[in-house]
Amino acid sequence: MTGEENVVDPEGEPAPTPAGPLHAVIPKSPGFWKEAWQRFRGRKLAMAALAFVALLAMVALFSPAIAGTKPVVVRYKGRIYFPAMAYFNRHWENPVFANDKFRKRYPKNLEDKDPESWAIWPLSFNDPYRRVQGNEWAGRPGNPTQDKGRPSRLNWFGTDQRGVDVFAQMVHGARIALLVGFVSMGIASAIGIIVGALAGYFGGWVDTLLSRLIEVVLCIPTLVLILALLAIIEQVTIWHMMTVIGATRWTSIARLTRAEFLKLKQMDFVAAARATGIGPIRIMVRYLLPNALAPVLVPITFGIAAAILIESGLSFLGFGAPPPNPSWGTLLSAGRSNYELWWLIVFPGTAIFLAVLAYNLIGEGLQEATDPRLRDTGD
Amino acid sequence: MLSYLIRRTAIGGLTLSLITFIVFGLIRNMPGTPLTLDQAEQTGDIELSEERIKQLEKAYGLDKPWPVAYVVWIGNIARGDMGRSFTRKRPVSELIVERIGPTLLLSLASLGLTYLMAVPLGLLFSARAGRLDERLASTVLYMLYSFPSFVAALFLQLYLCVRLGWLPLFGMVSDNYEDLSSIDQAVDIFWHALLPVTCYTYGSLAYYSRFIRANLQEVIRQDYIRTARAKGLGPVRVLWHHAFRNTLIPLVTLIGLTLPTLLSGSIIIEQIFTWPGMGRLFFESIRERDYPTIMGLTLMFSVLTLIGQLLADVLYAVVDPRVRLEDK
Repeated sequence: MTGEENVVDPEGEPAPTPAGPLHAVIPKSPGFWKEAWQRFRGRKLAMAALAFVALLAMVALFSPAIAGTKPVVVRYKGRIYFPAMAYFNRHWENPVFANDKFRKRYPKNLEDKDPESWAIWPLSFNDPYRRVQGNEWAGRPGNPTQDKGRPSRLNWFGTDQRGVDVFAQMVHGARIALLVGFVSMGIASAIGIIVGALAGYFGGWVDTLLSRLIEVVLCIPTLVLILALLAIIEQVTIWHMMTVIGATRWTSIARLTRAEFLKLKQMDFVAAARATGIGPIRIMVRYLLPNALAPVLVPITFGIAAAILIESGLSFLGFGAPPPNPSWGTLLSAGRSNYELWWLIVFPGTAIFLAVLAYNLIGEGLQEATDPRLRDTGD
Repeated sequence: MLSYLIRRTAIGGLTLSLITFIVFGLIRNMPGTPLTLDQAEQTGDIELSEERIKQLEKAYGLDKPWPVAYVVWIGNIARGDMGRSFTRKRPVSELIVERIGPTLLLSLASLGLTYLMAVPLGLLFSARAGRLDERLASTVLYMLYSFPSFVAALFLQLYLCVRLGWLPLFGMVSDNYEDLSSIDQAVDIFWHALLPVTCYTYGSLAYYSRFIRANLQEVIRQDYIRTARAKGLGPVRVLWHHAFRNTLIPLVTLIGLTLPTLLSGSIIIEQIFTWPGMGRLFFESIRERDYPTIMGLTLMFSVLTLIGQLLADVLYAVVDPRVRLEDK
């Protein structure tokens, strides 16, 4: 509007109009997320962390192909099967193998029952749930038990006291670590964003009530809350743990969302949206949330690191899902019962550290890429 | 100020009763009672008769439904009585007093060390900001910050205690502690406390020095710093007298927020080093379903958390005259 006023100059001289069509001159400014991504990409450590998480995701995704005792692909009696999928879900193993009484021992049974069969095996012939017995694979000795399971050619990261391969447990544990981070923080952000959005947008007694709720949850010792919730459940599985961690870790997300909404709802575009008769839910979801998302994403990323830490800590203290459960924390606690077995401490400990570090670095990179106060400072 | 304090205290009291109510309900609904867990340990030799269980339940107040028991408990709290531990057969307050010393020993030593090292480190980092050595040190500190303390504890135990045999693996005192002279006793505790204090300290050291550095970086862009430089002050004087003083405000509020952790201890660290502190007491009482102890500790932690938050807000207003508490 001010531009149009300037065109009619008091002096009578019309303002010079730019040559050519107006819209061709102005380059399209990059979107917020594109700019943020560009800044994020400039940070080497954050990118390395992102690459590490991607690697972890690949390991988790292909865990049955990396370590396992079930063939990835097998041609048995004229048909192709994928028995390794059983590591994701027990029911994905074709019943034909159970009917033919394989009893989870594939190499010998395949040879005996169908000499024509062929199979593609995982990189490391080791099971995350049980000890590999002698001669299960022709010529391969059984895994050493007790305190003799030093890292070796067959057991890259050694074996625990029951003779279960540590590398296999860690590869399959990567799945748990990733899931714990994403699922529990997914739950936490859903709760946190809803609570924070309602409190911030509506204010008044809703805010008072929800803020009190946040404070109460914040003040209850996390371990009491988690342990009490876990104790109520009959049989704790890893899914229960994720839910419980998610249900207790949403307070910081809620507080930040609330603060962002409080700030944003004063803005003109919200008033404009309200004036056109848009309902509160639509305003919150379509107008406020996209603008509040960047700052909220930061505690979520840090929360993923914290969730991995909590899960491994709980498993370490013996409150995790019962074995067989190849969580990194469970491995650590096995190492604590005998310090001579250093490989039970060093490898899982390093894995936990790297996962936590990676998420923290990503969170930090995100913070610096999206925070307008830090944007122009270079570095 | 006074009306603010009164209002905050009233709200705090309400929050507190809500927290204790929830926790009381949660722990009373956990499977197993102190009696059944006790029995399970006694391998059936001295199996309690039905009658005896009834008797004990009555004595412990387990025969009432939990909301009623909660009212009884809060009534006792109001009279300053935290109850008696079921499993240890001693007053809860006595247990807390006994355990608070070891925890304070660790947390105070760690807090002191953290501040002693974090302030110079933070200053040094901002003085050398952007140079290679600073970036290297910052990266190392950031890695330390992400290093889970229980993993670090295990690594240190593995290397220093098992491999090299330099330090005791766990416990607070050696077996022959009673026979030592008082100087040797102090030395003995020092050696035992070394690893736990390290594990407590390194993470917060990394956090605090980064925190100080970040605040300094913000302050250093202010006009008054440019003025100070322009009138010819040296870098040390600018950093210490003009910049650092103005970063104290957020630092002060942090002190308020660390209050609860000072006394609560770390469950996992105390568990790893079998340190007889509050965290371990808490862990054990949850395992033993020792309701009065869990409740006493929860009450204490919650009170401290609320006081810490209040303290942070009040301190904020005290050190920064621009902050007014009334118009919140």
